[in-house]
Amino acid sequence: MIARIGIAVVGVAFAAYGAWLLLAEDLADLVDAAVWLGAGVVLHDFVLVPLTLALGWLVSRLVPAGLRPRAAAGLVVLGTLTVLAIPVIGRFGERPDNPTILDRGYTAGWLLVVVVVLVVVGVSEVARRRRRPR
Amino acid sequence: MTALRAPEQRDFPSRLHHPHVAARIGAWLGICFLVAFVTGVISHLAQQPDSWLPSRPVWGYRVTQGVHVAAGTACVPLLLVKLWTVYPRFWIRPPRPSRELLLHAAERTSIGVLVAAAIFQLATGLANVTTWYPWSFSFRPTHFAVAWVVVGALVLHIAVKLPIVRAAFARPDVDEPPGEGLTRRGLVRIAGVASVAAVLLTAGGAVPWLRRVSVFAPRSGDGPQGIPINKSARAARVTASATDPAYRLVVTYGDRSVSLAREELLAMRQQTSGLPIACVEGWSAHGDWTGVRLRDLLDLVEAPTGAAVKVTSLQQRGAFKVTHLPGQFADDDLTLLALGLDGESLSIDHGYPARLIAPNRPGVLQTKWVARLEVEA
Repeated sequence: MIARIGIAVVGVAFAAYGAWLLLAEDLADLVDAAVWLGAGVVLHDFVLVPLTLALGWLVSRLVPAGLRPRAAAGLVVLGTLTVLAIPVIGRFGERPDNPTILDRGYTAGWLLVVVVVLVVVGVSEVARRRRRPR
Repeated sequence: MTALRAPEQRDFPSRLHHPHVAARIGAWLGICFLVAFVTGVISHLAQQPDSWLPSRPVWGYRVTQGVHVAAGTACVPLLLVKLWTVYPRFWIRPPRPSRELLLHAAERTSIGVLVAAAIFQLATGLANVTTWYPWSFSFRPTHFAVAWVVVGALVLHIAVKLPIVRAAFARPDVDEPPGEGLTRRGLVRIAGVASVAAVLLTAGGAVPWLRRVSVFAPRSGDGPQGIPINKSARAARVTASATDPAYRLVVTYGDRSVSLAREELLAMRQQTSGLPIACVEGWSAHGDWTGVRLRDLLDLVEAPTGAAVKVTSLQQRGAFKVTHLPGQFADDDLTLLALGLDGESLSIDHGYPARLIAPNRPGVLQTKWVARLEVEA
């Protein structure tokens, strides 16, 4: 218990130092940072989570039971990688004077990732059925 | 029909909402956040004007900043899966007795801080590596401050959950209840797969042999003379001044001063240094830079060893118009005022007529279009 309290005190001290650093910023910047801190949670809890729950519900309805583990695994990989790729697919940081930034076809890259995931899920499902013929 | 009501924990019956999953993914997530924190602090120190970091190893910043961005990227799938796993706890009703209520509120607050700060770090980091700045605050101090908040809240979270984590790791995952869909072990594994895939798909800007695989890398790693650029000559508004035949490099120390045209710099002893350019955005590339050893230039004004140098660019504005080069970098044998790259004259986007290139330095401090070198007393 004492060790846990010690660890907790260290944690609070680190976080307090971070908060102190933040408070050194201008008020306008601080408000903007606070908006971003809140917006991330709101986007996650009220957009990403409902989407995930809806997707899970669809999988439980539409995908046959035997295929479900692999379908779920494929969707975990695809879903998280899609969130990761939003800034590059959206090309929000593109600059006309600098062709070395965002210099790939990211939509094509995303489609390639989709195909690879589908193939891996498909191949491993076929392998599972061969192993355990009905 | 049943009346609408707020969901409760029991409304999420999946066996995957379990400490076995949360503790294991949480452990990996904690490690990745910690690696990103340590490498981030190194980057922060490296960017201080009076940095005491050594000029060796040559590839130091290339590795630490590449690892920093890779660790943050690896966190994205892990954090999303972790939050999904513990999501039903969001709907836990607060307890009645007042003392427990206080503890409950304190824990919920610390979790709220942890989640908000963690999402903030990953979102701002991901946007920053694509040079997208949809905010008004300054990225570096804010990302640095919130990093301490994340790590602090994380350490507190570990202290609170330690008995649950211990129990989850002590018992092997054999008592898994039967059910359809993914197993607990399966979810932990697939989160790991997604995390590794995230790194492989983005790291090509720093790891040349991954270039063809990294379809989500913000930079393919190509550019003028084979090296990407962050700020173009046009963006820095130096196209006219950098190509002006009247260009002179001015080197000063106290009341001593020399003024050199590019031809005079080319007439001095030339040295080639193989050095990486490594940016805060995580991309890096090796170049064979040719030019005058910086120490040779400082010797022209009889600057003492160990003296720091104020480097001023031709660019008219921007945070990196003036940079401060500590003595250990100024004196390093490999540090150059580069005039050429890979056997050619430096391209204007790489800093023609002359740029600074030093070992183990963040790219933003490798000043381009250098106009003045002022040795500080």
